Amino acid sequence: MVNRRQLLRQLVLTVAALGLKAGEARAKSGRSDSAKAHKVTIENLRYEPSSLTVERNSRVVWTNEDLFPHTVTDTHQAFDSKEIASHGSWSYIARTPGTYSYGCTLHPTMKATLIVR
Amino acid sequence: MKSLQTVCAVAVGVLVATLGAAATPPNDAQIAAIVVTANQVDINAGKLAESKASAPDVKAFAHRMVVDHGSVNKSAKALVTKLHVTPESNATSESLKSGGEQNVAKLKELSGAAFDRAYIDHEVTYHQAVLDAMDSTLIPSAQNAELKALLVKVRPAFVDHLQHAKDLQGSLAKAGG
Repeated sequence: MVNRRQLLRQLVLTVAALGLKAGEARAKSGRSDSAKAHKVTIENLRYEPSSLTVERNSRVVWTNEDLFPHTVTDTHQAFDSKEIASHGSWSYIARTPGTYSYGCTLHPTMKATLIVR
Repeated sequence: MKSLQTVCAVAVGVLVATLGAAATPPNDAQIAAIVVTANQVDINAGKLAESKASAPDVKAFAHRMVVDHGSVNKSAKALVTKLHVTPESNATSESLKSGGEQNVAKLKELSGAAFDRAYIDHEVTYHQAVLDAMDSTLIPSAQNAELKALLVKVRPAFVDHLQHAKDLQGSLAKAGG
């Protein structure tokens, strides 16, 4: 017969194992996002790089180094940062493969491309 | 309308003419005054157009001018404070100021599509004149590295504003038939 002490020990081990698995899953997910995090700098009314290719589920972070607010807006509205303030940033996880032409709705000459594979 | 276009052309032409005619290039204090005045002139016209323009695209453009040129002036004023430079009024900054006042006074007499066209026509001429002045005189003459860097940093915004204004000029002309 299983006594209370053994039952408690089994319960602790089970909970610990579950916690470990959850932790592994989080770590894998975190590794995936951070390993694939790409940076785009907005400066002098340009996106740098102007063309960026990433694997699907990658995180892309745009940082605005200009004096003016800017947006990161897909031509077909697949994504839209709205206004990113001067020295602010915006993060997006690119989940759907495709070629996205985007620009700034406030400054029409600003254009760039995001390719998701 | 003819007289307004003439006033606009004269007002912004003054910028290039006075800079070009100057015997000596402007010093940093004079450049600071020219930059602050040039931005303020466009902010003033933009504020009027924000309330008076009829086309939504023209209103949005006017708002952009107020925000962007306001940001440039905020940075320019912070820089001159840091550098202990007092902007020095000069023939160019004074001409810009009076030209801007004339432009606003004339725009106030207009309304509807005529206002939109006059405002945008002026914006095209103004931004082209400022870009010419930046390239020919202001950037090459700036002695302080940070002042020169600020001018270089904001130049792309003037290029964007010029193209934006030209695009609007084209669409307003089409709409007007």
